[in-house]
Amino acid sequence: MPPRLTVILKGLAVPLLLLAALEGYARGPGRDSDALAPPSKALLALGQAAADGSLWGATAFTLGSAAAGLAIGFALALLLGTWLGLSARAGRWSFLTVELLRPVPSVALIPLAMLVFGFGARMEFSVVAFAVFWPLLVLVQAAARQVDPRLLEVAAALQLGPAARFAKIVLPAMLPRLFVALRLAVAIALVVAVTVEIAANPHGMGYAIMLAQQSLDPALMLAWLFWIALVGFAVNALALWLQQRAARRMGAAG
Amino acid sequence: MNRVNRVAWRDTVPSLLVLAALLALWWLASHGQWVSRVFLPTPEATLASLREGLAGGELLQQTGQTVLRMLQGWLLACVAGVALGALIGISPAARGWLQPMLEFVRPLPASAVMPLAISIFGLGPNMVLFVVAFGAMWPVLLATLHGFAHVEPRLREVAAALQLPALDFVRKVGLPSALPDVLAGMRLSLTVSLIVAVVGEMIASQPGLGQAVLLAARSFRASELFAGIVLLGLVGFAANALLAAAERRLLRWQRP
Amino acid sequence: MTVAPGGGEPILRFDGVAIHLGGREILSPTTVDVRRGEFVCIIGPSGCGKTTLLRAAAGFVAPSAGRVLRNGQAVHGPSREAAFVFQDYGRALLPWRSVAGNVGLALEAAGVPAAERAPRIAQVLQTVGLAAHAGKFPLQLSGGMQQRAQIARCLAQQPALLMMDEPFGALDAMTRESLQDEVSRLVRERGLTVLFVTHDLEEAIYLGDRVIALRANPTAAKPSVAAIVDIGIPGPRSQLETKEHPEYLRLRRELYQYLSH
Repeated sequence: MPPRLTVILKGLAVPLLLLAALEGYARGPGRDSDALAPPSKALLALGQAAADGSLWGATAFTLGSAAAGLAIGFALALLLGTWLGLSARAGRWSFLTVELLRPVPSVALIPLAMLVFGFGARMEFSVVAFAVFWPLLVLVQAAARQVDPRLLEVAAALQLGPAARFAKIVLPAMLPRLFVALRLAVAIALVVAVTVEIAANPHGMGYAIMLAQQSLDPALMLAWLFWIALVGFAVNALALWLQQRAARRMGAAG
Repeated sequence: MNRVNRVAWRDTVPSLLVLAALLALWWLASHGQWVSRVFLPTPEATLASLREGLAGGELLQQTGQTVLRMLQGWLLACVAGVALGALIGISPAARGWLQPMLEFVRPLPASAVMPLAISIFGLGPNMVLFVVAFGAMWPVLLATLHGFAHVEPRLREVAAALQLPALDFVRKVGLPSALPDVLAGMRLSLTVSLIVAVVGEMIASQPGLGQAVLLAARSFRASELFAGIVLLGLVGFAANALLAAAERRLLRWQRP
Repeated sequence: MTVAPGGGEPILRFDGVAIHLGGREILSPTTVDVRRGEFVCIIGPSGCGKTTLLRAAAGFVAPSAGRVLRNGQAVHGPSREAAFVFQDYGRALLPWRSVAGNVGLALEAAGVPAAERAPRIAQVLQTVGLAAHAGKFPLQLSGGMQQRAQIARCLAQQPALLMMDEPFGALDAMTRESLQDEVSRLVRERGLTVLFVTHDLEEAIYLGDRVIALRANPTAAKPSVAAIVDIGIPGPRSQLETKEHPEYLRLRRELYQYLSH
């Protein structure tokens, strides 16, 4: 048996065993539970949600809000972080302010976002944007700081304006590290989006799973739990692949 | 991750000026009604709410509740996470069977487990504690696993050459070697603990800062909302700073 | 040499030991005895299996054929009796323990009670000249001092056999020379048997009672062991005089051929 296959099978053995145990329990002694359902029923519920479109709608909402928040947060962090990284003085002087604002947990802003935007996409992606902005700021700043000073001298010698300097010299130099930062931000964005939905926003995958629980439908709830885990895994794997590909093509980051 | 080296003294004044400028901006924005007063309270109003809340006791109590919840869940998570992570990390066989499953669960948002927890525990403090502990366990477990799986092979050989008993190996070589990873995992876990505690309070209406800010928003009391956000920021800041200081102390040998 | 190698049962015997790694035969079946108190140096070009042979002696590697016997007993794994000094000393010291702590680890592993440990640690640190640095951490020490710390830990095991894997390869010439003399002295004082791997021919002749030269890519016609030569240089060794001694120079010429190819 090829080694790759053995690794995969070995990795699946324990989870499958656990699922089988759950199946047995949920069909037997746990029959009337509101919390547990047989995985087979959960799979059916998942199939049904896929068929009637609710699966795709909710997933699209969550992914869309996460992406929008990520885009906004990333763009802002890129601009500010590059400036703070290139200008040592700006970096040092802003350190205190950033360190004081950074630890505010993004979930603390959910009620504020609710107040300002009501429910919906804007409320969600604004919280996501806040959540990804701070770690991205730190990472972008570090990436900008590590741009080879020689390249900056080249930019000065060519008398490039700030926009051209950024686009042609600084940004390409930072690119490998930006992909690493992006990977981290993608993970955060998805988690925060789902969290906002669970806490407040009646849209998306987080709301779907809460609704399933409230309707006392454990099969659907477990289906959503599995689906959320799967989506998270897939998105993270994609981000990792992207990062590794970028690293190979552009030279490895630090 | 290494943050910028501590700011030198001559940067203190400009740094404070930057902070002051930001506060001034806030003051202008709120007084000038650039944003509705409903959403953006004035700094003074926020400060007043803070003072009232802390002196009168309610905000103080709520902060205490949130911190307690965060710490309880975090400690449980650390004990379970380090123990499991060490056991699995040390054994290549265990890793082979379990690591893929753990990697699959890693990206799952901790809050996603809340509906399941509600079905089991109902809407109460136990539910929140369970989810906090469960969510916070993963960063510590995975970091510990990584630390123990990557003990310097040369040190393994040294331990074998000295015929060091297995338990001693874990205590004297494995754990100190994994400590940097474990501490980093614990720091991440603390962040998760705070977040999940706040969300749990919001959903299950448990006393704490999470509930406080939610109620303030619902009643359109912006200054109380902001006061709560400030306090949550302070809790996050203090927790992280204390843990980072402990980390530096424990890892002194890394920077001779 | 002041202590003549003892007679009787060899302390270490390679009995038809062959080692295959990654599909290749690194070491062809080799039979060699090491007598008690001997200082045996193993030289050879890279890939000849000298480190592998050493690791087999220490019990880190199981031979693909034949056996390694220590005091007549087959070796199944590492043992406290056979201390091993690694070339990459930086990785072989616990960075979170001080020098004294690292040496102490050997004593803790042997079950020495706490009260006894401190004086023994102090004594062994004195021997290697690190008494003043007992409280320092490995990252605070120079390469030579780190290697001495490792040697100190090995000595604290009170081994019968000391195995050294190119221990001075990463050090500068002056440190290397002073450590060579120190190790020579320490080993003589304690009557230790030493198996010393090096790529430095001069070092091998300077330190050893016997030199084993190995070949890379052994075949049936040209097995791993190319030569085993007794070092008959009279009198105590000294960095300046010994290296001008005619016997030294003759040996150097004779053994030089085994280093190339």
